[in-house]
Amino acid sequence: MNLAHLHLVMNHVPTVGSVAALGLLLLAFVRRNEHLKHAGLELLFVIAVLTLPVYVSGVAAHREIRDRPGVSEDAVKVHQDAALIGFTVTEFAGFVAWVALWQSRRRGRAARGLVPAVTVLLVVALVVMGRAANLGGEIRHPEIRAAGAAPALAGDPERFMTSAISQVAVYSTWAWPAAEAVHFLGLALSFGVLLAVNLRILGVMKQVPFADVHRLLPWGMLGLGANLITGMFFFVGQPGQYTASTPFFWKVAFLVIAGANFLYLTVFGKAWPPFDVAQGGREGDRGDGRFDASVADKSMAILSITAWLAVLYAGRMLPFLGRSF
Amino acid sequence: MLSWLESTSLAVWLRESPSVWSFPTVLTLHTAGMAVLVGASWMLDLRLLGVGRNVPLSAYRWVFPTLAVGLFVNLVTGVLLFIKDPTTWGTAMPFLVKMVLVVASVATLVPVRSLILRRDAAHRDVSRNFRLLAIASILAWAGAVTAGRLLAYLVV
Repeated sequence: MNLAHLHLVMNHVPTVGSVAALGLLLLAFVRRNEHLKHAGLELLFVIAVLTLPVYVSGVAAHREIRDRPGVSEDAVKVHQDAALIGFTVTEFAGFVAWVALWQSRRRGRAARGLVPAVTVLLVVALVVMGRAANLGGEIRHPEIRAAGAAPALAGDPERFMTSAISQVAVYSTWAWPAAEAVHFLGLALSFGVLLAVNLRILGVMKQVPFADVHRLLPWGMLGLGANLITGMFFFVGQPGQYTASTPFFWKVAFLVIAGANFLYLTVFGKAWPPFDVAQGGREGDRGDGRFDASVADKSMAILSITAWLAVLYAGRMLPFLGRSF
Repeated sequence: MLSWLESTSLAVWLRESPSVWSFPTVLTLHTAGMAVLVGASWMLDLRLLGVGRNVPLSAYRWVFPTLAVGLFVNLVTGVLLFIKDPTTWGTAMPFLVKMVLVVASVATLVPVRSLILRRDAAHRDVSRNFRLLAIASILAWAGAVTAGRLLAYLVV
C-alpha cells in the first residue's frame, strides 16, 4: 500500500460523507431534532478534517501515475484545481459547522440562520467536490468520459490555480517567509489555547468553570485557521517536497487526531452545568473547585497535548527527517 | 571571543553532526518552548484584555510556572543555537532586534506577575495600564516570533 492507494481509499469520504451529513441536517430540520442537527454538524466537521489527507495524498497519487501510458497531465491538473476549490469550500463549511457547535455548547443553541447557512455551504461543497471527484475519476477511467471526448483539456499550464500559487511560492521573495512567520504565530496561539483548556481538564485552575475556558476555543480556531491557510500555501506551492516525506505523513496523521480532539473539546458533554443540570439533572462543574473531570476527559486532554506536540515535532523536523524546507 | 566560541567542540557538534539529536532536536525544542511561552503569555494577555472577564485573576497563577518552563527551555536551546554560529548571530541586526523584542516581552510579565499573584483571590479588575501592557505584550511576542522565524531568511 502506498499513498496513491490511500488516496483511492479516502477520496470518497468528502462526497459520500457530505451526502450523509446533508441527510442528517435535512432530517433534523424536518423532525426539529437538535440531536440530529448536532450529529450532522459534528459529522461535517470530521469530514472537513479528513478532507486534508484526501487532498494531500492526491499529489502523491499523481507522482505514482504521471509517467504511465494513458495518463493525461492536463486531466490531472484540471482535477487538482477542482479539488483545491472543493477542499476550500469543504473546510469553510466545516469551520461554520464548528462555530454552530461552539455556540450551541455555550448558549444552548446556534445563532439564528447559522445551521441553514451551513446546509447551503454543504450543498455547494458537495457540488464542487462532486465535480472534482468526477474529474479525478476521468484520469484513470476512460469509460466515464463522454463518448469520443479527449481527457479534459487544459491548454496553457499557467492558467491553473495550483500552478499560479506555485509560482508565487517559488519566485516571490517575501511570500514564503511571511507565510512561515504567520504559521509560527498561529502555532503559538492555538497551542496556548489548547494548553489552557487541557490543563483545566487535568485539574489546574479548578475554580474556573469549564464554560470560561471553552470561551477560549475560538482563539484556538483562529490560530488553526491561519495555519491551515499558510500550511496549504506551502503544500500547494511546493507539493513535491512533502509527498515523499515521512514526517509530513505523520504530521497529517496527527493533525487528523488533533482535529478530532478539538471537536471533542468543543462539544464534550460532562462537567458542564448550565444545560446538563437542566436537561438530565446530572451534576456538573459549578466552578467551586470541587469538580474533577472524568478519567476519559483527562485521557483526552493528555492525548490532545501529545497530538499537538507531535504535529509540531513532525512539522519542525520536516527539513531534517525528510528533505523539505 | 565569538570565533573562539565557534571553534568549541559543542559548536562543531551542533554545526556538523548529522545526528537528528543535534541541531534538529535543539531547534524543535526551541519551537516547542516558544509555543508554551508565547501561547501561555497570550492567554494571560487575552484575560487582561477582557476575554473571560468573570474569571478571577488568581485563576491564572498556573501561567507563571508554565512560562518558567518555556523560558528555561528556550534560554538553554537559544544559547545552543547561538553557540552554533556565534560570529553570524553576534553581528546580525535582525538577531539583535529579536533579542530586544524577547527581553521587552519578558519585561511586560514582571508587573503582570505581581498583579496576578496578589493575595486577593477574587480580584477581577484590570486597570487601563495593565490592558495597555497586555497589548504591548501581545505585539512584542508577535514581533519576536516573526523576527525569529525571519532570521532563517534574513541572516544566512
